[in-house]
Amino acid sequence: MSDKAEKSKNLTFTPVIGIEIHIQLRTKSKIFCTCSADYTNDEPNSHICPVCMGLPGSLPVLNRAVVEQGMLAGLALNCSIVSPTLFFRKSYYYPDLPKGFQITQSDLPIAAGGWLDISDDAGNPKRVRINRLHLEEDVGKLHHSASDGRLEGAESSWVDYNRSGLPLAEIVSEPDISSAREAVEYVTTLRRRVRYSGASDVDLEKGMMRFDANVSMKCSDGRWGRKVEVKNMNSFHALERAIEFEIRRQTKLLEDGGEVLQETRHWNDAKEITRASRVKEFYRKFIVEPDLPPMVVSPEWVESVRETLPEMPEKKAERYVNLGLTPVDAAVLSDSLDVAEYFEACVAAGANPLRAGNWTRTEVLRVLGERRIGAKDLPVRPEALAKLIGLIDDGRLSTTLGKTIFEAMLQGLSFEDAMKKSGAVEGGVGADALAKVVRRVLEANADVVGEIRPDTRGKKIKFLQGLVMRETKGQARADEVVAAIEAALNSK
Amino acid sequence: MKLDSDEVRAIAMEGRLSLTDAELQGAVRYINNFLEMVDRFKELDLKDVEPFAFAESVECPLREDVVGVFRDRDEILAARPATGPFFSVPRIMEE
Amino acid sequence: MQLHELSVREIASGVRGRKFSALEVFEDCLGRSAACEGKVSALITTTADAGRQRARRIDERIARGEDPGPLAGVPVILKDNICTRGVRTTAGSRILGDWAPPYDATVWALLQDAGAVLLGKSNMDEFAMGNTCGTSAFGPTANPWDVARVPGGSSGGSAAAVAAGYVPFALGSDTGGSIRQPASYCGICGLKPTYGMVSRYGLIAYGSSLDQIGPFTRNVGDMALVMGLLARQDPKDSTSTCGTRGECFAELQDDLKGRRVALVRDFRDFTLDPGISEAMKKTIAALERAGAEMMEVSLPTVGRYAVACYYAIAASEAHTNLARFDGVRYGYTVNSSAGMKDMFQEVRSHGFGSEVKSRIIAGTCLTEPVRSEQYYVAATRVRTLIAREFAEAFENADCILQPVTPSLAPKIGEVDDDAMKGYESDLYTLPVNMAGLPGYSFRAGTDADSGLPVGLQLVGPRWSDGRLLSAGLALEKILGAPVIAGGGN
Repeated sequence: MSDKAEKSKNLTFTPVIGIEIHIQLRTKSKIFCTCSADYTNDEPNSHICPVCMGLPGSLPVLNRAVVEQGMLAGLALNCSIVSPTLFFRKSYYYPDLPKGFQITQSDLPIAAGGWLDISDDAGNPKRVRINRLHLEEDVGKLHHSASDGRLEGAESSWVDYNRSGLPLAEIVSEPDISSAREAVEYVTTLRRRVRYSGASDVDLEKGMMRFDANVSMKCSDGRWGRKVEVKNMNSFHALERAIEFEIRRQTKLLEDGGEVLQETRHWNDAKEITRASRVKEFYRKFIVEPDLPPMVVSPEWVESVRETLPEMPEKKAERYVNLGLTPVDAAVLSDSLDVAEYFEACVAAGANPLRAGNWTRTEVLRVLGERRIGAKDLPVRPEALAKLIGLIDDGRLSTTLGKTIFEAMLQGLSFEDAMKKSGAVEGGVGADALAKVVRRVLEANADVVGEIRPDTRGKKIKFLQGLVMRETKGQARADEVVAAIEAALNSK
Repeated sequence: MKLDSDEVRAIAMEGRLSLTDAELQGAVRYINNFLEMVDRFKELDLKDVEPFAFAESVECPLREDVVGVFRDRDEILAARPATGPFFSVPRIMEE
Repeated sequence: MQLHELSVREIASGVRGRKFSALEVFEDCLGRSAACEGKVSALITTTADAGRQRARRIDERIARGEDPGPLAGVPVILKDNICTRGVRTTAGSRILGDWAPPYDATVWALLQDAGAVLLGKSNMDEFAMGNTCGTSAFGPTANPWDVARVPGGSSGGSAAAVAAGYVPFALGSDTGGSIRQPASYCGICGLKPTYGMVSRYGLIAYGSSLDQIGPFTRNVGDMALVMGLLARQDPKDSTSTCGTRGECFAELQDDLKGRRVALVRDFRDFTLDPGISEAMKKTIAALERAGAEMMEVSLPTVGRYAVACYYAIAASEAHTNLARFDGVRYGYTVNSSAGMKDMFQEVRSHGFGSEVKSRIIAGTCLTEPVRSEQYYVAATRVRTLIAREFAEAFENADCILQPVTPSLAPKIGEVDDDAMKGYESDLYTLPVNMAGLPGYSFRAGTDADSGLPVGLQLVGPRWSDGRLLSAGLALEKILGAPVIAGGGN
């Protein structure tokens, strides 16, 4: 071991991490042309036109919805909206980039100076600052397999420009993140808020959210390691693993007395390693995009967008805890806006918050997961669920029967039809009807009644109560049943 | 500032251009004349001068978010020999 | 008088009034172009068949009692950097190969709507980079007044075609003088409109913040007529900002009483060819006769920095505009198994000519991160000073009268294409684009020695295009309208 390495042994290294996230904004058409932004499952190169193909003579025209969604996402990340801003041309040569430059706001972004609160590894609150959110266009997609699908021996790569010109927001954090776990919490929090805002569906499987991470190591002797940019992570898991890998790699290099090279590395998802980019990082040259005058958003526009922003998940969770829910339940219920709104509608319709929370967290979420639908598409509307919960709470329905009715509603039946089908009657069992059932049960179980002694009274009544409940299909309230049995026994 | 032929060749590569020797000579002369000319900017105090972006205070027009289909997509594809629905390029090794 | 000698207005009214047919006009113009092309070579593509078909359709519409529009049956030539659907568009370069755009430039769509008939696409300096037509991949074009001389550039083909009488009007593009200079060399009218007056959609870009499409005509009335049709705000071009300003072309006033026409003090000591000095004197006298007041303005920053500033901006924008030519999607390509980077390099190295390559290198160089602040960003700041200086000058003056070039059309092959020397001769044209101003180039006389036409230009504040043409009308009444050149015959 060299002296240098020996000396390094006693030093500690702290990771310094910044994250760049690309999200696809939710619009109908592309950012600079009218081609459809929804290309999932469509034939390659089916959504192309002179503009997104960069044909000579074509010019970009900015989509209003992109500006609006950009503002919305920015506001959801506590950013300030900047106006006026400009677009630039970022030049590099690559076949997926039809014009040889990407139109991007880059350093003059529409939103800047935001932050998100997460917790550090010790569980203490931590604020991650967001430098900016800027708008830009996406590039096409390269496919590297041969035309018959084989990967090996292919002589060509293939380009599909359907994605070219999709609207993106790039969100750049300050280097405030210190671990892979923090990174994942940061992106999870960010994703949740952006989805809440409606600015993007942030569907990771559809590539609507992609990550790059800048990782460097700060040495306990005050020195800073060089910054490494890790690219190509498309899932939370990949982000976490890539950062972990990079921290290990850089720490080992520094401990051994080596140096970290400033470079771009690519995450290889299959091998779970980062590898130095074979292509030297391109020169990134910027000039003002002369085809787009400065973009101006009025304060009125900003305010009207701000007004459409829903209450954010952390606020909701806080409120739910105040309603008596556990922090875990509150977090689960507030994770996505449609579920939170479902839960809140249920409570607003009169359901007990704890019960509504339970039902939403278990039954509703289960069905949403099974059916892969949003809460808005659930056949059981929150008002119906509230009614159901009310009946169960009143003891007019057993939980079991409640679930049967819930299932029936899931099949598309109305609340009333579901009740009928399950043999339940709205309003429960009347006192007369109950007295009748009790009489019948007592008669049929005269032997049990005969065995009632002071020391067995409670147990026997409980047994009889169960029988009555079964007879009434759980629609009678337990306390009323007991009272009716007592009354019948006493009248003997 | 003067550039030598190696520097000019390197810049040309950035622009994905390879030059013949004659072209390189011409380009070196051209670029050095050019730089001599733009070096004049040093005479000016530009610190407080805003960069010129557009001839007057115009705002970027915004279009409504409406989908329109370009009907002559086939003509765009026809500019290249048929490779199915794709454009083909020499194989790129994935990084 | 033969049909090809008629003006835009005369042809349209003749066709609409059934004095002659659109097809007759087209055939006569085609015949004229065929007679001259051998020596002039103004066209890269001639659209004889498509043009005949279209002329016939216009005649049919007239027979049915319909009105095909204010340009009914008027033949037109478009510079070959203006996209025409289904018609090869080359920008004077090899790199576009046989590419036929799948769409029409907005200007061509507007002209078609007005009833115009395409006769061909004209030769130009490659990607509009040059001022002689000599950088075209399709060979040079000759000046129809003297086929040993250049027609100017970059829109030399369009200018030569109008001067030689192929068509009564043509479109060019002007990034730093590319309409005004060839108009001057060829002795016709050329207008570089205010930036934003005419849509650039479908114009293959050179310097996007400088480029503007404009017409060549043989009289100022035709210029106003054509501009009245082209000056339309276009939702496809975000820098098209003319609003309703196209109305300024509706009626021209030839009374210049009280109009203040300025000469630039800083240009006073520059050398001019005697024929040009003479034309300046005659034109000043004519302006005064029409009621104008002569005065002086000063443009010191323009004089010293505009040329440098222009080339810095133009090259910076150009190298990004030309980055799309990589052989992947359209145009010239090669089969390369060596790899992506080699393919790009091969396509671009064979596809572009040396002038274009030099300017791409210059633009790449000036915008490299290490030099950008010093050169590209500095140039954008200098541009602010230039625009400001013009704006101040126009607080006192209504327009500026100045030469287009300091000398007459040079002989082919005798042009000193060693960069900067030629560039100093651009001083009269480039600054106009820097500030987004209109510039009107007109025939002011004939050089006594050579018999070559002499052009001068009027430059005004933004959106004063109509007033420039009004002054042009007053001058045309005194100095006479352009006549058709021999075209080598």
